[in-house]
Amino acid sequence: MTDTAPGLPRLGTTLFSLSLEQRKPGRDFASLVAEVAARDLGPGLEMVAFQSLRGWPRLDDAAVREVRGVIESSGLTPSCLAINNDLGLYPGRLLTDDESHEYVAVQVRGAAALGFPVARVGVETSPAILERLLPLAEELGVAVGVEIHAPLTIEAPPVAALKELFVRLDTPWLGFIPDMSSSMRAIPEAVYDAHRAAGISPELTAMTKQLWAEPGPTVAKFPELERRAAEAGASPAQVGNLRMLFTMHGKMEPERWADFFPHVVHVHGKFYGIVDGPDGLTDPSIDWPTVARVLVEQRYTGFISSEYEAHAYSDRYDAFDQVRAQHDMLKGLLEAQASVVAR
Amino acid sequence: MGPLDDQVVRADSLTATPDGLDIAVYSHWYRALPLPSLARVDLTVDGERIEPSSLSVTVNGQRHPFAALAEKGDEYWFTTDPVLLHVPVETAPGREHRVRLLLGLSIPYILTGPDRVPLVAPSLTDKTLTAAGA
Repeated sequence: MTDTAPGLPRLGTTLFSLSLEQRKPGRDFASLVAEVAARDLGPGLEMVAFQSLRGWPRLDDAAVREVRGVIESSGLTPSCLAINNDLGLYPGRLLTDDESHEYVAVQVRGAAALGFPVARVGVETSPAILERLLPLAEELGVAVGVEIHAPLTIEAPPVAALKELFVRLDTPWLGFIPDMSSSMRAIPEAVYDAHRAAGISPELTAMTKQLWAEPGPTVAKFPELERRAAEAGASPAQVGNLRMLFTMHGKMEPERWADFFPHVVHVHGKFYGIVDGPDGLTDPSIDWPTVARVLVEQRYTGFISSEYEAHAYSDRYDAFDQVRAQHDMLKGLLEAQASVVAR
Repeated sequence: MGPLDDQVVRADSLTATPDGLDIAVYSHWYRALPLPSLARVDLTVDGERIEPSSLSVTVNGQRHPFAALAEKGDEYWFTTDPVLLHVPVETAPGREHRVRLLLGLSIPYILTGPDRVPLVAPSLTDKTLTAAGA
């Protein structure tokens, strides 16, 4: 496996990147893992348990053995298992705190059984539930990380509450999982494909991209977006698609990821496309040179899971090739930063 | 919105059976969802609206009345499996049907608004397809 130099963040892939690949005839879990390894897209391996593992969250011993066997024979290293706290499981009510705790605890035990050192939850998992999970996390040796995904930023009240919790408990078994969707510099080009299919004109998509890029908090721009979209004749469903761009792509300055340290247990290398430009491989939507600098300066040595998500918008690009390009770009950036930071 | 929308109802999704039309429906969401997430099935076949209460649904080999899915929070619809909608309309092998389906999946971990209501992710299909024999 290609690895970064010692003392640097390590690379890896989440199978979520291969969401469209998973649907192709003849594909199964074992073949996806094997191909990630064969294409040298490790060493870290992450997956969404509910996406990849049939029978989750109740895997019997034989299923656990089978999954472990697939991972071990690939040579990849389990990095993080994304689990879910399905608070809205039943119509008309949310799970109680006891139900939510049990729902997540079962999955943290599952992550441990499969050999994952980190389990990812979303911000819907409250500080109180996280604190209740701490003894289990400690006992199992599985860190529980809360993913910070767009539209969340360091300033969002739930994030501040988490920061306070992590500072107070001061434990390696609870922390953040930064996801670069929160700190983007442009809405990705791939969105044009999805909008075209949804009957949204390229002009309307371009207007939304431009409005997003203007200074000021995104949340304050929703009325302006809706006004301009309605003037252009967009249907309510189309306005919903345009609003989604504001929700899925955050504009926090990437330098702010430093404020999440030292409570970072894993990193999602979210991206929507790498291009080979005049300056080599670059990501038009995410400022990876700055992110790499922050991670190296913070002495982060955990995994960055490449998380290609343009498959939500377009099937035009090959996800394996995209992850390859991101790995090549990141390896170069991290190793270049290491020499700057060391000086 | 996205490439999976076109796969919700596929070219070979329709089957004529002795008690009606079976439609194989695939999820447009990336992960397995609990059965209550199959929240909204607005279906018309050949222009006729099908009441959800008249549907039954086969998931994981078990057939349920549509309304019973809301109670099945401990069962999951796996990412790559179809569910079968059993639709009480007359059909026969080789017959064409226009199927319009607005599928709304309730996403139980994405809570929206001050009331923390699960996001409903819609996918719209409008296709004319031929039913195969059972």
